[in-house]
Amino acid sequence: MEDVSLYLEPARTLAVVGESGAGKSTLIGATLGLVPCTTGQVTWAGASPRYIRPALVMQEPRSAFNPHLLLRRSVMEPCVAKRLQCDPSRLQRLCDGLEISTDLLDRRPSEVSIGQAQRVGILRALIAAPPLVLFDEPLSALDAVTQKHTARLIAELQAEEGFAAMIVTHDLGYAAAYADDIAVLRAGRIEEIGAAKAFVAEPKTAYGHRLRDAAFALGALERAA
Amino acid sequence: MRSVVVLSAVLLALALIGPLLAPHAPTAIDIPNRLSAPDADHWLGTDALGRDIMSRLLHGAKWTIGIAFLISLVGLLVGTLIGLVAALGGRVMDWVCMRTTDTFLAFPDLVAAVVIAGVLGAGTGSLIFALTITGWMRYARVARGIGLSLQNRGYVVQARLAGLSALAIARWHYIPALLPSLTVVWTGMFARAILGISALGFLGFGVQPPMPEWGSMLLDARIHMRSTPLQMIWPGLAVVCSVLAINLAGDALRDALAQNDDQIP
Amino acid sequence: MASVLALFLRASVVLVCTALATFSLLWHAPGDPALAVAIARYQAVVPDAVLDQIRTEAGFNTGFWTAFASWLRPLLQGDFGQSAVTGRDVWPELVTAIGYTVPLAVLGLLIGLFFSIPLALLATKKPGGWLDRLAVALASIGAAIPAYWLGLLLILLFAVQLGWLPAMGARTSAHVILPALTLGLGVAASLTRILRSGLLEARGQSFLPAFRRRGISRRALERDHVAPHAAIPVITVFGLELAFLLEGAVMVEVIFARPGLGTFLVSAIEARDFPKVQAVVILTAVLFVTVNLLIDLLYRAIDPRIGERDA
Repeated sequence: MEDVSLYLEPARTLAVVGESGAGKSTLIGATLGLVPCTTGQVTWAGASPRYIRPALVMQEPRSAFNPHLLLRRSVMEPCVAKRLQCDPSRLQRLCDGLEISTDLLDRRPSEVSIGQAQRVGILRALIAAPPLVLFDEPLSALDAVTQKHTARLIAELQAEEGFAAMIVTHDLGYAAAYADDIAVLRAGRIEEIGAAKAFVAEPKTAYGHRLRDAAFALGALERAA
Repeated sequence: MRSVVVLSAVLLALALIGPLLAPHAPTAIDIPNRLSAPDADHWLGTDALGRDIMSRLLHGAKWTIGIAFLISLVGLLVGTLIGLVAALGGRVMDWVCMRTTDTFLAFPDLVAAVVIAGVLGAGTGSLIFALTITGWMRYARVARGIGLSLQNRGYVVQARLAGLSALAIARWHYIPALLPSLTVVWTGMFARAILGISALGFLGFGVQPPMPEWGSMLLDARIHMRSTPLQMIWPGLAVVCSVLAINLAGDALRDALAQNDDQIP
Repeated sequence: MASVLALFLRASVVLVCTALATFSLLWHAPGDPALAVAIARYQAVVPDAVLDQIRTEAGFNTGFWTAFASWLRPLLQGDFGQSAVTGRDVWPELVTAIGYTVPLAVLGLLIGLFFSIPLALLATKKPGGWLDRLAVALASIGAAIPAYWLGLLLILLFAVQLGWLPAMGARTSAHVILPALTLGLGVAASLTRILRSGLLEARGQSFLPAFRRRGISRRALERDHVAPHAAIPVITVFGLELAFLLEGAVMVEVIFARPGLGTFLVSAIEARDFPKVQAVVILTAVLFVTVNLLIDLLYRAIDPRIGERDA
């Protein structure tokens, strides 16, 4: 990947859209510090993001949990790692926000629905109050109704918690509806970046136009937006 | 899994309780009654020094099965540790651990055990050392293989992101996933240890007389093959029965695991 | 190509490590090695001057690395050194011993194949039938019987009770029959197991019926798909059986007092004749590492994917 520079701010959402192979996974890996950068760097308030422990919500909710363990254990993992005492009222509040009952946490991953598992995944991402949360295609494994519901819950929680969010997705409709800014990634480069509304109204590049018009044609994006 | 647990419990119980059931002291010498045929007092007869063979067999379980259990467990710990270090410790550690494993695999393990036990001098200590140091490599290979396949699982990535220590990741995410396969390997290594202990005992490098170990009992019995051939049957039969039982339990476990393969991550 | 080079590099590293491990085991063996040599050589307690002479001769008074180097350098040129006890060259004695072990191992392998191939073929005709269950039972029992006990039972039956065959030593060619049978029955047990599961797996190949439907002839199918598929397990089995044969030969030779490598090794250990022990161990390791290297190379020749996976 080359020439990628992105800025994230607290309580704002950046959506990175691009087709398969554009470098979305590499971008996530680099942001999380899982993939080393050969040149350039990723920083958060001037330091490596490893110190703030950004959280990740994965595309496949079930495989993100150890099948042998109760969900509660997996959810608490970020707290255990930081040697934090997890505040029960915070857990309760997040569970309420995600519309899951805390009893769900006493099951194993195979005993909950995909939609529930994804919400538990979001719960784990938020439990230790990270300043930055990455969403890697958070909705693509879910059915249409659950997609809408989950997207709304994420947005509400962000308003409450104030974390910066980076949503990596190929779904321009989702990006346009929930993100403040949109970056278009193509073949490892940032094709264009700007406010979401401006992008939907008038993309700056030819590729951006193609992407937007394809989304219009599919009905994934509403012209009125 | 249950069959293995039950079987190892039975074998361990045999090793622990067996000596209590013995009608005579295993080392009680009774020269006038030497090489006697089975009778009411000595159910399996006596050996060249008039010692009761039945009692020696029961006490021998303590040595053969007990030491084999110990050896296979230590091998399990050492091998798993090395395999996990190879899988989790980066490329350099992986290379070092795997070349060490290859080095130990460069000899047929019984030959290596004979050399080590023989060179260190006959005795139970060198026996245990020799069979342990030649018996951890399969665990290491299996642990590393599964470990590498776990590395990119979602939940392992999540644990790393959360900043969980390598030790905690191993404890919570690797060990539970490794356990079924390692148990299958363990049954094989337990059986191998029984065979190894009695082989070394038979060569005279193992447990020393007058301690009744099945292999060294066979060594004693061999000299009197012509006069009392039955004496040679019992210790061998004891080895075959224990090894067969362990192997069958291991097979059953492997088949059970293969059937619900999708449950193994 | 790079991966083939890496294989060679890996094999050499392993060989150097085995040499080092062997040497350091014997170097750190308990007891004064010079005293052991003196007792083996003179059967008596000797004055200190003689002990010193032995130390200088054998390099016991130099450092570990110097001694290791002075052992390894001639070894690389094929010089296995001299017996600590007799002072004679190890190599000719080793060759004589190998001359007894190789026929035993070859005959054992043949006997194993002779019993296991028909048994496995019959067993897989009807998986789960009584023949199959019998084969599995025989293989399981065979795997649990230690070679030294089987050998004793065969001696008891054929030499002591029936008096048909000679047991001890290697005077006539008939002397090889009982040891080879002992070894061969063990080989047969493990081969039956491997062949049986290999055959069952090969028959269950899911792509074969599809190819047949596409009009590919049975012969072409056997040649292009079944044979390469079956070759990999056969090669693997060869490597496993080699270990089994070597290990078995050691025990079997001791039981039957056959003067092969096993007897050579055990008597060298008992006499604490370390140059001989080192020679056998290194020879075994070289054989093993070479065979494993060949197996790896063959795997790659048959299935190029293996090289990529293992990078």
